Amino acid sequence: MEDKPGQDKIPDTPLFDRKRSLAGYRINKMAMGLSKPENREAFRQDEGAYLDRFGLTPEEKEAVMSRNWREMVRLGGNLFFILKISAVDPVRITEIGAHQAGMDHDDFLRNRLGKK
Amino acid sequence: MAKLIGGLGTSHVPSIAAAIDKGLRDTPDWKPFFDGYIPGQDWVKEHKPDVAVVIFNDHGNSFFLDKVPTFAVGCAEEYRPVDEGWGPRAIPPFRGAVDFSWHFIDTLVENRFDPMICQEIEVDHGIQVPMELFWGRPDQWPVRVVPIFVNVIQYPIPLPSRCYEMGRVLRQAIESYPGDERFVVLGTGGLSHQLQGARAGFVNPPADEAFLRDIATDPDKLAAMSREQYVEMFGSEGAELMMWLVMRGAMDRDVVVRHKHYFVPASMTGAGMIVMENKATSSPAVAA
Repeated sequence: MEDKPGQDKIPDTPLFDRKRSLAGYRINKMAMGLSKPENREAFRQDEGAYLDRFGLTPEEKEAVMSRNWREMVRLGGNLFFILKISAVDPVRITEIGAHQAGMDHDDFLRNRLGKK
Repeated sequence: MAKLIGGLGTSHVPSIAAAIDKGLRDTPDWKPFFDGYIPGQDWVKEHKPDVAVVIFNDHGNSFFLDKVPTFAVGCAEEYRPVDEGWGPRAIPPFRGAVDFSWHFIDTLVENRFDPMICQEIEVDHGIQVPMELFWGRPDQWPVRVVPIFVNVIQYPIPLPSRCYEMGRVLRQAIESYPGDERFVVLGTGGLSHQLQGARAGFVNPPADEAFLRDIATDPDKLAAMSREQYVEMFGSEGAELMMWLVMRGAMDRDVVVRHKHYFVPASMTGAGMIVMENKATSSPAVAA
């Protein structure tokens, strides 16, 4: 899936449309699996093997294993699903936001969210 | 006859649940947020509703992408908290208002709304957080619930005007229900936030404040807006706000605002609350 700048009608705002949903089905299904404790354990034990169970492509595996949130979203991952990865490997949602915005976390809190 | 005694609106951010679970209520980050809900909690204590109809969206917990209902209505005896990845939260299950749920589903279909019918379903923070914000953390919930799930994630999501129309049918269902229960309707979600893409972290406090005003005084304007306008103004996940229109559609044109609260940021979200009563039946002693 190409994600050229300006493709989104509203800039930098990926809507979860047909194209993204189709492209991201594997990643999202894998992440949805993490709502079961036995799958969380499998992910912890051998992440690569767990991802293979859902047929992730090498590109998708790389994005997940490097916790590249921006890339996961580009590949069709929807945050509500991929957020479950943070239940296994804790990371704050604001850090996921900052990563996608390409900003330092403190800078993100101050300049996007208006934190003092 | 059953009676609608109020329309409530609130955000349902999952970090609110986490803050309660971790005992962070009175920390500087959260205290002003939670304190703003005290008048709303007092209102439900005073008015003692029997049934809460709660409009919210599932966040990839009860439904996956294999089956995505645009509208779904619960008619279960009980709704347990779902495992969102951290294990099910230790809160009491919600008791359903089964008979009314079926009556509502009948009324919807007779009015050309065709929802998915759910006799067995678990529920996520979308309903948990609003219930906790208004009713606290009781041993058992003092109200029975009717969950209405709206798809606001997988496009095509419904039109804001459709949510508003559904509210009118909800009102008809309440008014035609042969019980003497007292109903509140909770519209939940929003306010402005965006979790995905390079615009992540977008919040829009002026638009949020305007929404909290317009939902009372000019809901027709909000119902006439396009989905794209919601996304642009409130962020990709802020489009959830259209679910407040189901609540508003169940009310009269003229309402009285009893309480209102706004706080930003709750985690990554502009968070808001409103308590409204129909003007015609509101207690005249208390002017807003």
